[in-house]
Amino acid sequence: MGFLTPALLGGVLLVALPIVLHLVMRRQPRKVPFPALQFVRNRQEANRRRLNLRHWLLLALRCALIAGLALALARPTLKGSGLRGKEGAPLAVALVVDNSLRMQYIHQNRPRLEEAAEMATWLIGRLPEETELAVLDLSRSSSGFVNEVGTAEARLRNLQSESSPRPLDDAVREAIDLLTDHDDYRQEMFLFTDLSVAAWDETAVQSINEALSEAPGVRIYVVDVGARQPKNMALGELQLRSHILRPGESLHLEALLEATNLLDAPLVEIFLTDKLGRAVKRGQKTVDIAPDGSGRVTFGISDLPLGVHQGHIQLASIDPLEIDNTRYFTVEVRPQAKVLILGERPSDALFLREALSPSLLADRTAVQFQCTTERFSEAMEIDFETFEAICMLDPPLLSDPLWEKLVTYADVGGGVGLFLGERAQAGGFNTSAAVELLPGPLKRKSRLETYFRPKRLDHPALIGLRDYADSIPWQAYSVFKYWEFGDMSGDAYVVARFANQQPALVERPVGRGRVLTFSTPVSDPLQLATREPWNLLPAGPWPFVPLCNQTVGYLAQNENRPLDFLAGETVNLRLTPQQLLSSFVLHQPDGESLRRTLPPGDDTIRIGTTRQLGNYRVASGGESKLLDRGFSINSAAELMRLERVDPDQLADSLPADQVQLARTISDVERTVNIGRSGRELFPWAITLVALVWGAEHLLANRFYRGAP
Amino acid sequence: MATVEKYLKPEVIRQISRLDLRAQFIVKGFLQGLHASPFHGFSVEFSEHRKYSPGDNPDDIDWLVYAKTDKYYVKKFEAETNLTGYLVMDLSASMAYSHDQKLTKFEYAICLAAALCYLMIHQNDPVGLITFGEKIVDSLAPKSKRQQIGNILSHLAKLKPHDKTDIGRSLNQLAAMLKHSSLVMLFSDLLAEPEEVIASLRRLRHGGHDVILFHILDAAEVTFPFEGLVELEDPESLDTIEVDADAYRSTYLEEIDSFRLLYECECRQSGIDYVPLDTSMQFDRALTGYLINRRNWG
Repeated sequence: MGFLTPALLGGVLLVALPIVLHLVMRRQPRKVPFPALQFVRNRQEANRRRLNLRHWLLLALRCALIAGLALALARPTLKGSGLRGKEGAPLAVALVVDNSLRMQYIHQNRPRLEEAAEMATWLIGRLPEETELAVLDLSRSSSGFVNEVGTAEARLRNLQSESSPRPLDDAVREAIDLLTDHDDYRQEMFLFTDLSVAAWDETAVQSINEALSEAPGVRIYVVDVGARQPKNMALGELQLRSHILRPGESLHLEALLEATNLLDAPLVEIFLTDKLGRAVKRGQKTVDIAPDGSGRVTFGISDLPLGVHQGHIQLASIDPLEIDNTRYFTVEVRPQAKVLILGERPSDALFLREALSPSLLADRTAVQFQCTTERFSEAMEIDFETFEAICMLDPPLLSDPLWEKLVTYADVGGGVGLFLGERAQAGGFNTSAAVELLPGPLKRKSRLETYFRPKRLDHPALIGLRDYADSIPWQAYSVFKYWEFGDMSGDAYVVARFANQQPALVERPVGRGRVLTFSTPVSDPLQLATREPWNLLPAGPWPFVPLCNQTVGYLAQNENRPLDFLAGETVNLRLTPQQLLSSFVLHQPDGESLRRTLPPGDDTIRIGTTRQLGNYRVASGGESKLLDRGFSINSAAELMRLERVDPDQLADSLPADQVQLARTISDVERTVNIGRSGRELFPWAITLVALVWGAEHLLANRFYRGAP
Repeated sequence: MATVEKYLKPEVIRQISRLDLRAQFIVKGFLQGLHASPFHGFSVEFSEHRKYSPGDNPDDIDWLVYAKTDKYYVKKFEAETNLTGYLVMDLSASMAYSHDQKLTKFEYAICLAAALCYLMIHQNDPVGLITFGEKIVDSLAPKSKRQQIGNILSHLAKLKPHDKTDIGRSLNQLAAMLKHSSLVMLFSDLLAEPEEVIASLRRLRHGGHDVILFHILDAAEVTFPFEGLVELEDPESLDTIEVDADAYRSTYLEEIDSFRLLYECECRQSGIDYVPLDTSMQFDRALTGYLINRRNWG
C-alpha cells in the first residue's frame, strides 16, 4: 500500500474536529419550564444510554468519514514489492524489441517490427526527462544506455530484421543486467514481442524467471504486438540428397512446407541461376497440405554441367510473412575422384574397390570414386599425381624409394591410406622414409579380440556417420588382430579407437596432404586357408561401405560437405591443393562484391558475415576460374514458427508482481500507470467514503426524525 | 357563519379579554357550526312550534300542523329534567403553563368552563363552580338563574393557578360534598400520580355522579417541540432534567400517549367521559363532549 499524495494524509488529523465538537464544544442546555416532567423522568436513564451509544456511533462514523476522505484524496495504491520505497526515484528503462525475421509478419497492413518500434517510440515520448534509456534488440551486438532520447528514437527507427537472432531471453538478461546497474533507479523493461513459441519456449521462460529472481527490483512489461491468428505458409529447411554431384547425377531436392491457419494447396516453384545471374524457372509443383498443416515437395533436376549451381525454391502465393517463402540452395558438380588401390594381389582390393565403386551399381553416375587397382611391385612406375588418393592394402616391406615417392606425393596434397595387416613387420616399417608417413613405430601385433568403436564421429573422416552413430552395430564386426604403435609422433592424431582404447585409425598430416593409418586391414577374406582373418569388418555393407567412402573421400579431399548454412553461421570452405590463393571475391546476395585476402598457407576460406539470406559466391582468378565456389544462407526454420503461446499461461509462468502483459497502446498506458503507481484504490476509497457518508446521514436522520 | 366559527379557535378567543364575551362567542360559534339541532333527542317537554329551518331534523316536522297550514313547523321542546352541573377547576401551578406564551392551560380551561356555564344556564340547568388545589379551595353553589352566569364568570376571571395540587384528595372531598347526582366537569392537566386520581374518579362515579374529564395539556406537552439539548424544569416541584430533545422526542410522545391511553381506558371502564385536549385545539370538541353526555342524561 502506498499513496500518490501522501501529504494529504495529514487531513486525517481533522478527525479531531468532530471529537472536539463532541467533547469540548458541548452545547449548554437551554432552560425550559416544563410541567410534564414525570413523563421525561420515567425513561430518561435508558434513553440517555441509547442516546450516548448513538452519539458515539455517529461520532465514529463522522470520524471515519473525515479519515476516509483524507485517505481517498491521498490516492492510496496497491503495488508490487518491486517498486516499493522507490517512489519519486528516476526511471531506468530498457526497451527490448524482438527484431527477428518473424517480426516482418504483416498484420493490419504493418510489419510487426514497425508496430513495435512505433509503440516503443510513443512510449519514449511519455517518459520523464531524466529517464535513463536503453534500446536492445536480438542482434548479437550489445548496447548500453543512450545519452539522449534522440539516439534511442533513431535506433528504433533504424531497427533491421535480424536473420540470426540471439534467444529472446538472452536480450532480456542483458537488459536486466543493464537495469540492475542502476540500483537507485526504478528499473523497468518494455519487451515488444509477438509471443511466438519460437521465442517463448520453456527454456526462455525459465531463464527469464531465474534472472528476475536475482533482480527483484526489475519490472517487465511484455507488450504483445503479434497477430492473434497468424496465417502463413512457410518453406522448411531444404534436404538435398547430396551437395556434391558427380557428372550425370541429378539434383534431388526435398522441401517441407508448414502451413499455419492456411489449408490452400500452394504452388512451389524452383529456379536455377544461370551464368548471367538470372533466375530461370526449372519446375513447379502444387503441394497438398495435410490437415496438420504439413506438406512435402520434391524436385529433381538432371544434366547439370560441372561447376557450382545455385538456385532457390519459392512459394508462388503471397502471405503475411514473405521472408520464409523462399529457400536457397547450392550444389557442386565435380568429376569423380581418382583413387589408386595398391595391393599384393588384385584380389586384396576387392572389398575396398566394391565399397568405393560398386561394380553392380546400375547408375554409375552416383559413384564418387574412379578406382584403379595395381600391385605394389608396379607402384614405382605409376604417376601418383594423377590420383587424388592412394590406398595401400596390407603393405609388405616396401623399398625406401617407394616410401619416399609416397611422402612426396602426400607433401603436395595427396592422400595416402595405409591399411596395416599380416604382411607388415615391426622392424621393416621403421625406416626413415616410412616413419614420415606412419604415426609411430610398429610395436607388435595384438591378438586381443576387440571391435571398432569410435567415440566421437566429429572428425571430417567420419562425420558422415555421425547422424547414425547410435544405430551402427560395431560389436558385430569383431577385430581379432591389430597393430599396436610405439611412441606416436607429436603430429599424429587418433581419429578412432577400438573398444579397448587402442588406436584404430590415426591421422598424420604430411605437407599439404593427409595420411590415414588403419591398424587393421580391410583386405582379408573372411575364410582364409592358412590363417584367421584379422577382422570381420568387410563382412557386411553397413557400416563398411560408408566408412570406406568417408575415409577415402577425406583422403581425396573430396568430402561431401553441405553447402547450405544458417544465417549467422561461419562458413568454412576448404580449398583443394590446386586452389591455393591469396585473395578472393565474395559476391553477396544483394549484388555487392567484397574482396578478401587469405592468410598465406591457409587452406580454408572463413566467412562470418552471413546475415543476408540468399546465395553467395566465392570466386578468384577471373576467367580462369581458379576458384569458383558457392554456398547458401537460409534462416532457421524453427525461428519462423508463428504459433503463439497462450498469454494467460505465460503470465502464470512468470512472477506476477514483476511481469505484466499488454496488447494495445492503451493497455501499455494503463499497465504502466498501474505499475508505476500501483493499482489506484481511489475509486474504491471514495465509494467507501460515500457509503460511510450515506450511513452517517441515515443515522443522523433517524436520530432527528420528527424534529420540527 | 364562518366569522362566528372562528371563535372556536383559541388564538382568536385569546384576543377577547372579557370572559363573558369569550363564552358567548364560543357557544355561538359552536351552535352555529352544528348541522343537527343540538337539542335533538333530549327528553324535554314540548313548549311551542317554530318554523323549520335547514339543519333541523325532518323527523321533527309536525305533519298535522303542515296539513293545517301547509307550512313546515318543528316541535320545540323544553328540558324535562334539570341537571346540576359542577365546573371543577384545577388550580395547580402547572395549569399556568404555556410554552408559546399564548393561552395557558388554565385560561383554556376557563374559556371552556365559561362556555359550558353559558350553555347550561341557557338550558336552565343549575351550574356551580368548585376550585381545588391540594384540597377544595372555593365553591359556588349551583343555580340556574341567569345572574349565575355573571357570578361564575366573575369568579372564574379572578382565579389564579398558584398552588400545589392533590387531585385525588380534592375529588374525594368533592364526592363527599355532593348530595345529589350531578354532572361533574373536571378541568385539569392531571399531572399527578394517576392511581390516586383514577381511584377518586371511580369513587365520584360510584357516588352516582356523571363525570366529564377535560384533560387539558399544553400543545408543547403533547408535541414536545423542543430541539437540541434542553434542561426541563417542573414549575411545581422545581425539579430539572437535562435531555436531548431531538433524540428524546419519540420516547416522550410514547409516554404521553400511554398516559392518555391509561386515562381513556380507565374512564371508559368507569363510564366517565374522557376528553383529551390541548391548548391548540378548538373548543367545539370539548363542548361536543358535554353535549353527548347531556343527551345521555336525557
